[in-house]
Amino acid sequence: MTTGARTQPSGTPRVSDAVRFDQLYREHVDRIFRFAQRLCGQEDDAKDLVQDTFLNAYRGLHDFRGEASVTTWLYTIAANACTRMRRKRKGEPQRELSLEEFIPTSEGEFRLQVAANGLSPQQALENKQLRRALQQAIQKLPKKYRLVLVLRDMEGLTAKEVGSIMGLNERAVKSRLHRARLFVRRELSARGIVAPDSRRNSGEED
Amino acid sequence: MTARIPQTSRQTHAQPLHPHAGHSKTHCLKILRRLSDYIDAEVTTDVCKEIRKHLGACPNCEVFLTSLRQTVSLCRHVESRPLSTALKSRIRRTVLHALGRA
Repeated sequence: MTTGARTQPSGTPRVSDAVRFDQLYREHVDRIFRFAQRLCGQEDDAKDLVQDTFLNAYRGLHDFRGEASVTTWLYTIAANACTRMRRKRKGEPQRELSLEEFIPTSEGEFRLQVAANGLSPQQALENKQLRRALQQAIQKLPKKYRLVLVLRDMEGLTAKEVGSIMGLNERAVKSRLHRARLFVRRELSARGIVAPDSRRNSGEED
Repeated sequence: MTARIPQTSRQTHAQPLHPHAGHSKTHCLKILRRLSDYIDAEVTTDVCKEIRKHLGACPNCEVFLTSLRQTVSLCRHVESRPLSTALKSRIRRTVLHALGRA
């Protein structure tokens, strides 16, 4: 029981909080679960993250004044919960990515390709190998880059929104995003996955 | 357009970078640093023109840009499994239980 809970004018705090919580949950759990899955890579961790997020959201309901949108607020709680969660895991690399490590040093490195030439992204993602490689690449990203990539390129938030969630200015968001994208590109292209021949329209792989 | 992508980068890694006519490796690096901004249409007109001019003269950077664009595009289109009704209920119960409200 939190101390200092304020009384709502309309009734007991517990009733209105419960109603607010249910509404919040109903309206946002699907999105937060999707975010959590993209971030965590596996359902169990995603489930834990969603639980932590809504637990903290409930506890923070009193103090939420609508300074940000509810969505941004929930993403912030989820991102912070993810940060805390990951810290408990042993041996997870949290290194800095420097731009220099992605700069090609040979002709070949410049020309490494991702297995998507001539295909729409949906077609390319029918390739199970590529799908798996992409997910693994994202999971391999150090957390602070993964967060930015998932928020910006997968959840579709603006750089400003991502900055608000992560406590960064837009320049910092863009810098991290670029490194994250370069990392994933290198991971994908180094796998040497062969794309299906788009001209023959061979359809699904696996 | 080749139908098949080279299986491995091993055979291509060995070749050193040759500067292309009209620009140095340093210029390529300068361009590579800006590619995300370029992809996101967040560069000024002048910078955009400079990048386009370079890409027109540099096959290496052109290919690099394509693969980076494709990477972003793939990230944007990955689907994720929806939350099942059962799991949705279970999570809600767990949260309410933790709050002492189940």
